[in-house]
This record gives sequence, C-alpha cells and structure tokens, in this order.
Amino acid sequence: MGSTLAKDLARDGHDVAVVDVSRGAFDRLGKDFPGKLVLGSGIDQEVLEQAGAANADCFISVTNGDNRNIMSAQVAREIFNIPRVMTRIYDPIRERVYREMGLYTYCPTVVGAAIARTFFDSGPEEADRARHSVAASGASGGA
Amino acid sequence: MPDRLTYVIVVGAGKVGFYLSRHLLEAGYEVALIEKDPARASLVAAQLGSCSVLVGDGDETAFLATSGIERADVVAAVTGDDEDNLVACQLAKRQFRVPRTVARVNNPRNVQLFHQLGVDVAVSATELILGVIETGLAGHGDFLHMPISGSESSVVRVTVPVGPAVGRQAGEIAELSQERILLLVRDGRELPLDTPLQAGDQIVMFTQRPAADFMLEEPVLLSPAAR
Repeated sequence: MGSTLAKDLARDGHDVAVVDVSRGAFDRLGKDFPGKLVLGSGIDQEVLEQAGAANADCFISVTNGDNRNIMSAQVAREIFNIPRVMTRIYDPIRERVYREMGLYTYCPTVVGAAIARTFFDSGPEEADRARHSVAASGASGGA
Repeated sequence: MPDRLTYVIVVGAGKVGFYLSRHLLEAGYEVALIEKDPARASLVAAQLGSCSVLVGDGDETAFLATSGIERADVVAAVTGDDEDNLVACQLAKRQFRVPRTVARVNNPRNVQLFHQLGVDVAVSATELILGVIETGLAGHGDFLHMPISGSESSVVRVTVPVGPAVGRQAGEIAELSQERILLLVRDGRELPLDTPLQAGDQIVMFTQRPAADFMLEEPVLLSPAAR
C-alpha cells in the first residue's frame, strides 16, 4: 500500500519521503521515483528526522505491524508535531482505542468486512458503491 | 495488611521477563507472564512453576481481557521491541485502567517519548549502563551515586519504584532513612518535598553513609516489596 500511495502522491507533485527497513521495498517504487528514500525503522526518531519529519505536513504509517504504525504515528504527532497523521491498524479493537485517543486510524479489516457485508446484503452494485464511497472519503478525509 | 497479593502482569518471556517474573514470585507477588511464542512459553512455564504463563499477544486486547488484566496492579512490558512495549502499556492504561505501567525501552531516546505517551515508568538498560560507563558513577538499577571526594558522603539519586514508597511523602522517607532530601523531581520539574510520591519520581538526597550501606539499608525506598 505504501508504495502505491507514495507513487500516487509523487505523481501529483507532492514532496514524498518513504521510510522502510528493507532496501527491497524501494524497488517497488520504480527507478524514476522522485521522492526521498530513507532506510530504517519508522519508530526511530533519528530515521524520521532524516526523512524530514520536522517539516512534514502529513505522516502516514502503513507497515505490516500494527504496533509499529501506532508508535511511529505517535512519534510523528508528539515529537515532530506533524499536523496530519494517519495510521493503519489491522486489529479492530486496537484501532478503536487509538481512534478514541485522537489518532486518525483506518482498519482494513473493518472496511473489508463492511464491504463484504454490503455485498452479502445488497449485491455487487451496492458493494461497489460502498467501496467507492470509502475510497472517496479516504481521499478527501485525510485526517 | 493487604487483603490480596499485588498482581503483576509481565509481557514478554525473554530473559528480562523470565528473571523479572522469577524475582517477583520470590518476593510474594502474584504474577502472570504473557508470551507470544508457545515453545518459549512452555519452557518458561516449566521453570517458573507457580506462575501462570499465558500464550498470546500482550497487545491483543481480547486476549488481555482473559488474563484478568482489569484487576492487575502493574503491567510490565519487557519484550525486545519498543513498539510492542509501548502499545501493551497504553492498552493496559487506556482500556483496562491498570494503575501502573512499566516499559522496557531498548532505544534510550524513547524514554522521554514513553513518558509523554502515558507510560508511568520507562526503563532503558542501555541508558543505565551508559550512565555507569560514561560518568564513572556507581549504578545499581535506577540508583545513581555521586561520591563527594575526600569524604564518605555522597549525593544519591533514586527513582521511586512501584512499591511501598508510593503515596508517602519524601519527608517521611527522609526521616526513616535519616538522609537529607535535596530535591524531588517529577517530569523534569522540582516539586515540594511534601508531595505524595509516585513511582518514577526522582529523589536526590545527601547521605553520609557509604553507598553500599545506603543501598542495603534502604529497603523501603529501593525494594519494590509487596504493598
């Protein structure tokens, strides 16, 4: 998800930095990716500093680890005072807790289940509509 | 007298979690140890005997609920991953209203962050060892000792552990130990000496006794004995 999003944002002319613990992840961005690549863990304040967190307008954490996402999002908010912070949390209960604590969170499990339920109740057209409304609100909601 | 044992949940059964649990059990605490890896959990369970070892995620809320966490007095998250320790403590605090959370911190820079994010006590082994090496001070856990050259006297800094000192006044501790309290510090700010103590508070005091005696004879302050 991170690479798709980063390429998308860069294409729209935004200044993007990508942080990942594995060099291999950067291959997915393609050779002509114009943004900054920073090797390291997103929970590490030094690494985020290198990525330019001090001047960032928006921070999005979408690693495969809920806790890494949660922690790096809090570092972004509390240490670097980044105004817009969003994080992905797979575990619905954890997602609810951190949403209540004021993080903008997104839970693929909850969103996926809602779409599947709409498909079950009302068929593919309704499910598509639900999917698009999620995509739209995701794009404009942006924390 | 307490009508029940202090209940401590330890998250992570690595070396730190194992020894911590063993010492807590010996000191008379009720302990539950939570470990992700089933193989490690069964190994540790065989060695600890009376301790209940639970296999599961210390940050999985549904699982935590089955560990009796809502009656826990302390949650100590001591895995090797800072993010797991942070989330375990935050969930314990927010979701289950656990009064005291203690986190092991691997990256010393995270100590301040963890406090800022609501963890009551954040302990960095790296920082402690670094302090001992860099300053040449004698260190014993959260205890720092600065000898005053040419005398037996020294200035000592102690971090108040979870235990009997909590809720008492620094002045009481001083009277018990016959030391002079110079400073009470919480979150980097100086507080009046009659403020009730919290775990994690730092007390700076002057003692005329040798450091070894001080450490041995300061059980009220230094040992996190059962309340």
